Amino acid sequence: MKRVLSLLVLLIALSVTGTPVMAVSPYTTWTLGPGDELWPTQDAYTPLDQIDLPLSGPEEMFLAPDGFLYVADTGNGRIIKLDAEFQITAEFGQGILESPTGLFVDEDGTLYIADADKNTIVILDANGSLINEFGRPSEPLFGANRAFLPRKITVDARKNLYIISEGSVDGLIMMNTNGNFIGYFGANSADMSLKMVLQRLFLTEEQLDQFIRNEAASPSNIAIDNQSLVYTITSGTDSNQSIRKFTVSGRNLLDWTFGSNNFRDISVSEDGLLLTVDADGLIFEYDLDGTLLFIFGGQDRGDQRLGLLSNPTAIERVGDDIYVLDKDKNAIVTYRVTDFARKLHDGVRLYMDGFYTEARPYFEDVLNYNGLVVMAYQAIANAAYRQGDYANALELFRYAESRRGYSESFWELRNTILQQYLGSALGVLFGGWIALSVFTRFERRYNWLEPLRRRAREAQKIRLVDDFIFMFRFIKQPVDSFYYIKQNLRGSLLFAFLIYVWVLIVRVLSLYLTSFLFSPYSTSWQIQVETEVTYTVLPLLLWNVANYLVATISDGEGRLRHVIIGNAYSLFPYVLFGLPIALISNLLTLNEVFIYTFSNQLMWFWIGLMIVIMVKEIHNYSVSETMRNILISLFTMAMFVLTGYILYVLFNQLYEFILAIIQEVGLRD
Amino acid sequence: MTNFNLLTPRDTVRAPYRVSLLLIFLCLSVILAPPDAARADSHSQEIPTSYQMVAETDLFQLYVDSSTLGFKLLDKRSSYLWHSGIDEIIEGDRLNNSWQAFARSGISIEYLDARAVNRRVSIANTEHTLEVTPIDQGVSAQVTFLEYDISVGILLQLEADGVRVEVPFASIREGNTGFRLGRVYVYPFLGATRGGSVPGYMLLPDGSGSLIRFADTTRAENMFYGRYYGPDLGIIASQPYDPLVTNPYQMSFPVFGIAHSEEQNAFLSVIEKGAAYGELQVHPAGIITNFNFLYNAFIYNEPYFQATNRSGAGVTVVQRQPNDFDAVMHYRFLTGDEANYVGMARNYQQYLVENDRLHRIEDSNPNIGIRLEFLGGDKEKILFWNRFVSMTTLGQMSEILTGLQLPNPDVIYYGWQPLGATSMPPTSLTLEGALGSISELRDLSDQIAADGGHFSLYLDPQGALWEEPGYSVRNDVAMAITNVSLEGYNRYYNLFFTLDALQRRYSTLSADVAAQLDVGLALDNIGSMLYSDFRSSAPLNREDAIEAYRTLLADLPLRLGFYRPNDYLLGLTQAYYDMPLGNNGYIYTSEAVPFLPIVLAGYVPYYGGAINFSSNQQDDLLRHVEYGIYPSYFLTHEATANMLNTRSNWIYTSSYAQWGEQIRQTYQWMNALLAPVRGQEIIAHETLAEGVFATTYANGRQIIVNYTDFPFVRGEITVEAKNALLLENRL
Repeated sequence: MKRVLSLLVLLIALSVTGTPVMAVSPYTTWTLGPGDELWPTQDAYTPLDQIDLPLSGPEEMFLAPDGFLYVADTGNGRIIKLDAEFQITAEFGQGILESPTGLFVDEDGTLYIADADKNTIVILDANGSLINEFGRPSEPLFGANRAFLPRKITVDARKNLYIISEGSVDGLIMMNTNGNFIGYFGANSADMSLKMVLQRLFLTEEQLDQFIRNEAASPSNIAIDNQSLVYTITSGTDSNQSIRKFTVSGRNLLDWTFGSNNFRDISVSEDGLLLTVDADGLIFEYDLDGTLLFIFGGQDRGDQRLGLLSNPTAIERVGDDIYVLDKDKNAIVTYRVTDFARKLHDGVRLYMDGFYTEARPYFEDVLNYNGLVVMAYQAIANAAYRQGDYANALELFRYAESRRGYSESFWELRNTILQQYLGSALGVLFGGWIALSVFTRFERRYNWLEPLRRRAREAQKIRLVDDFIFMFRFIKQPVDSFYYIKQNLRGSLLFAFLIYVWVLIVRVLSLYLTSFLFSPYSTSWQIQVETEVTYTVLPLLLWNVANYLVATISDGEGRLRHVIIGNAYSLFPYVLFGLPIALISNLLTLNEVFIYTFSNQLMWFWIGLMIVIMVKEIHNYSVSETMRNILISLFTMAMFVLTGYILYVLFNQLYEFILAIIQEVGLRD
Repeated sequence: MTNFNLLTPRDTVRAPYRVSLLLIFLCLSVILAPPDAARADSHSQEIPTSYQMVAETDLFQLYVDSSTLGFKLLDKRSSYLWHSGIDEIIEGDRLNNSWQAFARSGISIEYLDARAVNRRVSIANTEHTLEVTPIDQGVSAQVTFLEYDISVGILLQLEADGVRVEVPFASIREGNTGFRLGRVYVYPFLGATRGGSVPGYMLLPDGSGSLIRFADTTRAENMFYGRYYGPDLGIIASQPYDPLVTNPYQMSFPVFGIAHSEEQNAFLSVIEKGAAYGELQVHPAGIITNFNFLYNAFIYNEPYFQATNRSGAGVTVVQRQPNDFDAVMHYRFLTGDEANYVGMARNYQQYLVENDRLHRIEDSNPNIGIRLEFLGGDKEKILFWNRFVSMTTLGQMSEILTGLQLPNPDVIYYGWQPLGATSMPPTSLTLEGALGSISELRDLSDQIAADGGHFSLYLDPQGALWEEPGYSVRNDVAMAITNVSLEGYNRYYNLFFTLDALQRRYSTLSADVAAQLDVGLALDNIGSMLYSDFRSSAPLNREDAIEAYRTLLADLPLRLGFYRPNDYLLGLTQAYYDMPLGNNGYIYTSEAVPFLPIVLAGYVPYYGGAINFSSNQQDDLLRHVEYGIYPSYFLTHEATANMLNTRSNWIYTSSYAQWGEQIRQTYQWMNALLAPVRGQEIIAHETLAEGVFATTYANGRQIIVNYTDFPFVRGEITVEAKNALLLENRL
C-alpha cells in the first residue's frame, strides 16, 4: 500500500515538472534558530502556480490514497475529483450535499463528508452512490443537550469516524459508519486565568452565568496519519498549544510547538512532515515531533503576487509540492520544494525513523547553507551522542539549546572525568588535610603567622576593612550586630553603598555565569543588562524609602542611615553565596537540579530572615509590629509604583494634547 | 519599498450617476453579448476626416484631430497605422461614457476637490477650451477645463524615431483654489487592443522585465498602478515593513512597450523627463473594460493624510505647491524583426547611448567578473558597551583572494568603518582599527587591481542610521510633507539625509578616498531611492534630486558601482549589482523576460544578488547564464555564528570555509560559458522548448540553457539536464 502510494505521488510530482517560475518569492522564509526565535533562511518552497477552478467558497481538499485530489466545493454543494493536471474527472454528491465542509476519502474511494447545512455525515461510495447518511447520535451517552454540528471529519484504519462538531467542548466525536456513537476523544482543556479565578471567588452564581462560560475551545481541523494517530489544530487558543497529536488512547504528545492561534488546516504526510496553514496565509512545516522547520507565506492584500494567499482553507502535501486551497481565490496555489529544503527533508525522514547516523550528512549539508537551523544541530548532536562522541554532542546540544541533551552529554563527560581522577583527587584532598593539620599544630607552637595577624589587626583600624569584617559577624550574631549599627558603632554608609553595588555586580555576573542548564536565558545575548539592573535597583530603593517612611509614622526608632546600612548588611548571604552558587551550577546536571534550587531557596530565605530581624532591631519593634511594618512597607512600595505609573500616563496624555494642538495650529495657518 | 499602489476599480472610477443606468445596460449587454463579438477588431487602416496631417518624415506621417488631440501615426515602413484612441465603440467593449471619453481624448486630467476627493475628466466629456497651434513637425495645444479652471498645455511633435510629447510645467495653471490638478493622463489608449483579438503583449518594467500577453480574460482582480522609482517617501513618510513579505522590485526604468503581432509592429514609450512623478497604469483586458492598454500618468498634486495626534486622527489634505517638473516622453516605433521585447530593449539601449546616459565600460580582462562582498565586521553590545566583532580583516581578505585565484574579482568591502557595518560611515577615510590600516588597504587594492580585478568600499550615502551618533536629527535629515523624518530601511533602519547633508558628507569622504587610494565606491540605495524633502528651509523635489545626484556623483573620477540603480544613474554606473533574476510574480503577467540585461549587455557588467541566499542554486545559476549575469557571493572569514548578536545577523550564511570550494567551481563553469560573449550585446533571446532558452550575442555566439530534468537534443547538439551550452554559431 505504502509503496503504491509513493509511486503515485512520484508520478504526480513528475507530471508537473516544468520551467521554474522566474519570479522573486513574495515572502521571506523563517526558521527556528538560536534563542527559540525566528531567523530568516533560504526559501524552503517557491510559488509554482495558481490554478483557478470552477469553485465557490471551497472549504476542504483531500489527497486520496489513489493519488487523486478531492475538493469540497462548499458553495456548489458538491465534491469534485481532480487528476494530476487539475482536470475534473468526477463530481459527487449533487442533490445530496448542501454545504460540504469536511471530507475524507479512504483507499476504496469511499467518501466521508461532513455537511454543515444539513448537519449530517454523508458516506458515498466510489461511484457517488449514497451508502449512509446520519445526523445526531441518539445514544444517551452523547449528552442530552449536546448539539451535533459536524464540520470536519477523518477516518482511521478501523473505519472509526472522528468528527469535529462546532462548539463541542468534549473533544472529537467518535462514531462508526452506521452512525453509532462510540465516545468522545481527546478534549482540549480549558485555561483558567487569574482573572477567572478572582471572578469565581467573588462573583455570585448568577453573575457568573452572565459571563461566557469558560469552556475548552473545539478543534478547528483534523488529520490522521498512517498509524492512526490523530492530529488536531485549534484556533483561538494559545499559539504554542494549538497543535495536538493524540495517541490511540487520546493522550496529547505535543506539549509545546511554535504555532499560530488561527490555524485553518493541518496535513500530515507519511514521511514524517507536518504542514499547517493559518488564516493569514502563513504555511508552517514541522517534523512529526512538532519541531518547527519553516514558516513562509503571507496575506495577499491586493498585490496579487503569486504565492500569497487571501483566505486559505486547506493544505495538502502532494509529492514534493504543497497545495493550498484558497476560498476567496477559488483556486489551488501550488508551491515547489527547493533544493535546500529537500536536503533538510531527507535528513528529517531518516532522523524520524531513528537513523541518526545516516541522517547526519544531510544535516551537515543543511548547515553549510544556513548555520542557524537549530533542528540540524539537534539531529547531529543526537547522532554524536549515540556514537559516544560526548564532547562534540555537548557543544552541538548547546547550539541546539537542548537542555536535556546537554545535561545527558555533560553527565557522561563528567562521569568519565570523575572515574579517571576521583581516586587521585581524594588522595590530594586527604594529603592536603593532613598537611594543614600538621601545619596548624606547629604554627600554634611557633606562631609563624603572627606578623600576618598583626598586620590584619592594623588593617582593621581602617574603617572600610572593619565594615567588611563586620559583615561576617551577622552569620553568628545578627541581633547584636544590628544593635551595633543602631548605636552607630559599626558599619558605614559608604560600605552600605559598596554592598549595594556588589549585589548588582553579583546579580549581573551570575546571569552570565550560571550554567546554561539552569539559566532562564538560552544565549547570553538575550540578557538585557539594563532591565536586570533596573529590576534590582528599583525594589531596593523603594524598600529603603518605604521602610523608613512607614517607620517614622509607626514609632520606629531607626533613622534613614540605619535603615540603609541595615538593609545592606541583610543582603550579605547574596553577596557571599550568589556567585559561588552560580559557579557550582556549572558542575551539575539536570539530575541534581535540587542542589541548585535548594541552595538558592536557602539563600533567599536567609535574606528574608535577616530583613525581618533588621526591621525588628533597628526600629525596636515587637514581633507583631515588625510584621505590620513590613506589610505596610510592601503596600507603600506598590503605591509608589502605581503613582509613578499614573503620573507617567497623565503626562503622556498632556504631552500628546499639546502636541496635537501645535500640529493643528501649524496646519491651519 | 512597495512601489505599486494597487487601486481597486471602485477607488478610481467614479462614474457620474447620470450614466449609471447606461452602465447597467452596458454590463447587461456584456453578459448577453455573444462571446465572439468582442473578438472583432474595429481598427481600420483608414484615417477619419477629422484628422489632419501635421507632420511627415521619411518614416512617419502624423495626423492630429484638433477637437480631441487624438493622433494617428502611419509607419511608412510597414504601412501600419497606430491609433491613440478608439474611433468606434462596438458591443462588448465595456466602455461607459467616462471610459469612452478617456479613450478618445489625447489628454485627461484628474482633479482633487477641496476635500481631496479625486475625479477624472477628459477633453471629450467636459466643458473646455482648446487652442491648437501648429509648430515645427507638430502641434502645440492648450486645454482649459472650464468648470475647474485648470489648464494644461501639450506639445506633440514628430521626431526621427516616432513621436515626442511634452507637457511643460509653464503651461499648467490652477485658477480655482477649490480644484487642484491631481494627474495628467497622456494618450492612455495608444496601441490599445481588444481582448485577445490581436496576438501580442504589453511590456512592463517589472523586475528584469515582464510581459502580459493579450487575452480575452485576465487573472488580475485589480489594475496594476505603480510609480516609477517607487513611491515618494516624502509623501508616505516611511517605507512599509512586513517581516513576512518581501518588497517587490521597484520600476527602475520609466519604460513600457506594446507589441502588436510579435515581429510586426511595436512601440516603446520612454520618459525623458518627469519620470520621478510618473506613474505607469496598466489595464489587462477583462478588468473594467475589454481593452489591453497601458499609459503614463503624471502626478502634480497628491492628497496625503495629516495626523493631528498620535492616536492617528487627522485630515486628508492636498499638497500646497504642485510638483514642478516638465514631462517629456517619446514613443519610439518599431517594425519587423525589431517589434519584440529584444528589439524594444535594444532600442532603449540605443536611446540611452544617444542621449549620453549609457557608456561602454572598457575592460581588457578576458574573464568574467565575480562580485565578492566581504563583511568587515559589526558591533555587538556587551553590558553597556559596544564591542567590535571582526569578521574579515584586510589580511584575511587577502588570504581568501589568494586562495580563490579568481582572475577578475569585483571586491566590495562592507562594514569597514569604525565599529563596523551599522555605524555611521565617517566623513573622512577612517578604517576600523581591528581590520587593518590604510596602507594595508592600499596594498590590497593595488594587488587586486594588478590581478585584473576591482576593489570598492561599500557606502550608503543617503542613510542616517537609526539612533547612531554622527549626524544631527534636527538639521541633517529629510522631512516628509507631514513634518516627520523620513524613515526606511536598507540593510538597517535609517533616516534619510537632506541633500545638503548628503552632499557635504559624500564629497568630503569621496574626495578623501580619491586622494588616498585608488579604489571605487559601491553605492547602495542612492541609485534606487528617490525622495522629495519637504523641510521648509531647503525643499527638494524628486526631479531636482535626480539632477543633484547626477552632478554630485559625477564630480570625482571614482569608479562607481550601484545596487539596482534607476535609469538616470546608468551613465555613471561601472558595475550594476543585484540584477533581478526575474519579475515580481504578479499573477497576471505571462512571463519574465531579460529586458534590463539586454539593455546593459555589452555596455555595463551586471552582477546578480549573492548566491549564498539562493535556495535553488542550480536554477539560479542557469538564470545567470541565460541573462549574462555575473555571479555574486557574500563572504566572511569567520564563522557566521560569530555575528549572531550583531545587527548584521540577517546574513545567515557567509563563511568562506563553507563557500570557498563552491565559488571556485561556479566561477570556472560560468567563465567558460560567459567569457566568450563578454562585452557583447545580446541580439536575440528565444524559447526553444518548454524550459529551454537561447540567448544570442552580437559576435554570433549563442548560449542554450536547459532548466528541465531531461537532456535537450536538437540536431547534433545536446544540452544536458539542468545545464547550459555555448555554441560558436547560432542554432
